[in-house]
Amino acid sequence: MTHAVGARVRALVLWLVAGLLLAVWAFPVLWGLLTSFKTERDVLAYPPTVLFEPTLDNYREVIFGGSSILPNLWSSFVVSTAATLLTMLFAVPAAYALARLRYPAKRGSGFYVLATQMLPPVGLIIPYYLVLQGIGWLDTYSGLTAIYLTFSLPFAIWLMVSYFEDIPMEMEEAALLDRAGRLRTLWYVILPQVRGGIAVTTIFVFLNAWNEFLFAVVLGGNNVRPVTVAMFNFISVEQTQWARLAAGAMLAMAPVILIGLVAQRHIVKGLTVGAVKGGGRR
Amino acid sequence: MQLKREPAARSARPIRTLASQERRFALALLVPALLVLLLTTTTPLVYLVWNSLHRLDLGMPWLSGFAGLENYTRMGSDPRFWNSLWLTVVYTGSTVVLQVLIGLSLALLVLQIPRGQGVLRVAAILPIVLAPVVVGLFWRTLVLAPDFGLVDVASRALGMGSHNWLGDPQLALISVIAIHTWQWTPFAFLVLLATLATLPPDVYEAARLDRAGAWQRFFHITLPLIRPAIVMVVILRMMTALSAFAAIFAATGGGPGSATEILNLYAYRTSFTELNLGYGASLAVVLMAITLAISFLMFRLRRAR
Amino acid sequence: MTQFGSVRLEGVVKRHGSFTALHGIDLAIAPGEFFALLGPSGSGKTTTLRILAGLEEVDEGRVFLDDADVTQREPGERDVAMVFQSYALYPHMTVEQNISFPLRMIGTPAAQIAAAVRDAAAKVGIGHLLARRPGQLSGGQQQRCALARAIVRKPRLFLLDEPLSNLDAKLRLETRAELRKLQRSLGITAVYVTHDQEEAMTVADRMAVFMEGRIVQVGAPRDIFLAPANATVAAFIGTPAMNLLPAQLADGRVQVHDASLPVAAPPGERGAVMLGIRPGDLQVGADGIAARVEFIEDLGDNVIINFDVQGQRLKSRRDRAAGLAEGQQVRLSFDPHAAHLFDGATGERLQASAPGRP
Repeated sequence: MTHAVGARVRALVLWLVAGLLLAVWAFPVLWGLLTSFKTERDVLAYPPTVLFEPTLDNYREVIFGGSSILPNLWSSFVVSTAATLLTMLFAVPAAYALARLRYPAKRGSGFYVLATQMLPPVGLIIPYYLVLQGIGWLDTYSGLTAIYLTFSLPFAIWLMVSYFEDIPMEMEEAALLDRAGRLRTLWYVILPQVRGGIAVTTIFVFLNAWNEFLFAVVLGGNNVRPVTVAMFNFISVEQTQWARLAAGAMLAMAPVILIGLVAQRHIVKGLTVGAVKGGGRR
Repeated sequence: MQLKREPAARSARPIRTLASQERRFALALLVPALLVLLLTTTTPLVYLVWNSLHRLDLGMPWLSGFAGLENYTRMGSDPRFWNSLWLTVVYTGSTVVLQVLIGLSLALLVLQIPRGQGVLRVAAILPIVLAPVVVGLFWRTLVLAPDFGLVDVASRALGMGSHNWLGDPQLALISVIAIHTWQWTPFAFLVLLATLATLPPDVYEAARLDRAGAWQRFFHITLPLIRPAIVMVVILRMMTALSAFAAIFAATGGGPGSATEILNLYAYRTSFTELNLGYGASLAVVLMAITLAISFLMFRLRRAR
Repeated sequence: MTQFGSVRLEGVVKRHGSFTALHGIDLAIAPGEFFALLGPSGSGKTTTLRILAGLEEVDEGRVFLDDADVTQREPGERDVAMVFQSYALYPHMTVEQNISFPLRMIGTPAAQIAAAVRDAAAKVGIGHLLARRPGQLSGGQQQRCALARAIVRKPRLFLLDEPLSNLDAKLRLETRAELRKLQRSLGITAVYVTHDQEEAMTVADRMAVFMEGRIVQVGAPRDIFLAPANATVAAFIGTPAMNLLPAQLADGRVQVHDASLPVAAPPGERGAVMLGIRPGDLQVGADGIAARVEFIEDLGDNVIINFDVQGQRLKSRRDRAAGLAEGQQVRLSFDPHAAHLFDGATGERLQASAPGRP
């Protein structure tokens, strides 16, 4: 008898905890969403109002008005997409070589790729600034894209290596015996089997690029100002435009939230793969 | 297909062994990426180290020149440096520990309500996909703002009064730690949940038959089995904490004063706000050395099983 | 039969760091032969197979296919097909695409491919599964798909790496016979790796027994069974394994514990020996080695009786257990011509010819 009651109580506690988690993790975003529909006055009201008269003024201003972040969304889109494409183009073959092929200095190159992830961005931005300035690539799409590669590439290689390592060695052997040759083996036999991994890695690389701030703020400018930097448009010494900031942030984060929701299974799988398998088997 | 009798000596065809062809192919695949990396990481690195050996202050340009290890020795007696080092240790240590503890506990709890897991996974994804700078701004404006921020409202309702969560030096550090933990605990949660779900049930059944209680099962079976996952989570989270920048920058800018100025931010401020590039470079080098050392240690730890 | 597909290995040595996997292998296989490489795990048989395929390089020695030196040639250049233990089917392709892959790689015209695939699939009995993916096939079907992929381009050499070990027992026996039939009908030289000596005995024309990186005996399975070259081979071949007892040989008789029994020994041989008696040749009678019946395994068709002889277990195989019960004390003997004699120190066979043959 008590067993059943105890079980009920336990279930209740568990659900409470789950509800709390949900609240803690989802609430700030939901609150931001709510705020984006309030007037500035409503935002500052205490006690905070949940029921209020919603307004689209903030969004209007943020999309069409003087503080439009549309150009910033465009910048983010161009740079992130270009960086992602280039990264995958370089990273996938490199990861295959690291994971499956034998060549001199293999361990060394593995360590090298890993080590490049350890460099603090803070230390690299000055040289980047000077070089980009020197070749006239400051505040340009090319410049920013090129620099985004520096943190995307090692990360993508590292992730893809673990996906490649999951394929049994016999795959290449069978394909070679079938006279496929190295390149065709990679293309017809190996790559189709890591399609999932490529998808996950692409998602992660894109997310990282979209969310990048430090490089964007230092190496971008007036022409190329990704959305992460544009957030500060709404904050100045005198005042903060709370509601507009909320609307702007919602817009800025809409793509990544959408990707997160749609691809959540992939993302979770990717996190686990990277965490449990990656980095150690060299 | 006709086959000629070839003499036992070397045939006229060039010898293409399996190994040499593989080598050429491998290098062809790898070299583009390595070149990019070389250009974009090693060359700036050399430049950085070079800078750190110079006196290079844009605010006092007449002092520029080679300085040897002067920047590094100066660090030793720089209280702000030691402060930033201490803050880095506290920040990294507490966020990682909190993430693992909370993440693991939550994973263990949620494991037992399979129906709720789907919704929770979605909720967990949200903090992770957001840009850290946006998270910092969110918390600064909507959560921690005095008067109408969520936390302040709650604390007032609980009778603890209103506080300047980001303006008070003590509270500021706690606040940024909370922000970081909030954003990244879901990572530990998701990874550990997935790992726990893959544990073989028969080991537990055997343990039950051997009369092991819940705590014993946890310590002797669960913990050792998920140890690799925990170690990897710790390594990854440490790397993130050491290089954390955007969230703190957005929330406090490193202040008030130097209350949340971890080494990362100290280097940034020195280089960009105070324009002392030489010293800033040396700070960055020290940060890099620490990061490399820790990751080296952690990977060793991971291998020594 | 075909004239193509002869294989020769000369002095092949393979090392892994400080460990030598193969100590100088010499082997000659005739065209069209079904040749087995038999041995326990780690004995070097799989390594030898992979060297034939070109998947491993040799440290010393040479490999000849049809008298051409292929030692340095890549796997794709040798015209060799292999069935892997795990089948190595391409999981993202259908059965049809799997089978046609080798033909597509060499640029065979599409019409020819379709016909060849149908033909190969029919030969192994999976013609109705062409649209499925490997993940949707049973173990036995996957194995056939791997076979079809191997035979579709009519290579000059088949290599099979323990192809039956992932199948359940009954399927294994059925597939064994089919493999044999298939190879005969195609006439392609086949080299077959297995650790199951019964399997090797049933499918192979000839076989090589591997022990610790060396070939210890080559010959027809029947010949090896009847006259194993040394005690280790003797213990490995045959189910249940041959009974081996230490004994003293003198003047055509062996002294085993308290019993002295006649054997057909080479003249003049004496000294410490290992005496080998197959379970089928062990007789129970009034005279001989003292033994106690430990337990009896009734297999239906025949019976295996386990004896305890001073701490050592001997086995005898008979039609029925007539009159024997557990715990009974008996005496064991054998036909003098059925005894195998091996040198006590080296384990090498002492008799020149197989027992039972004068």
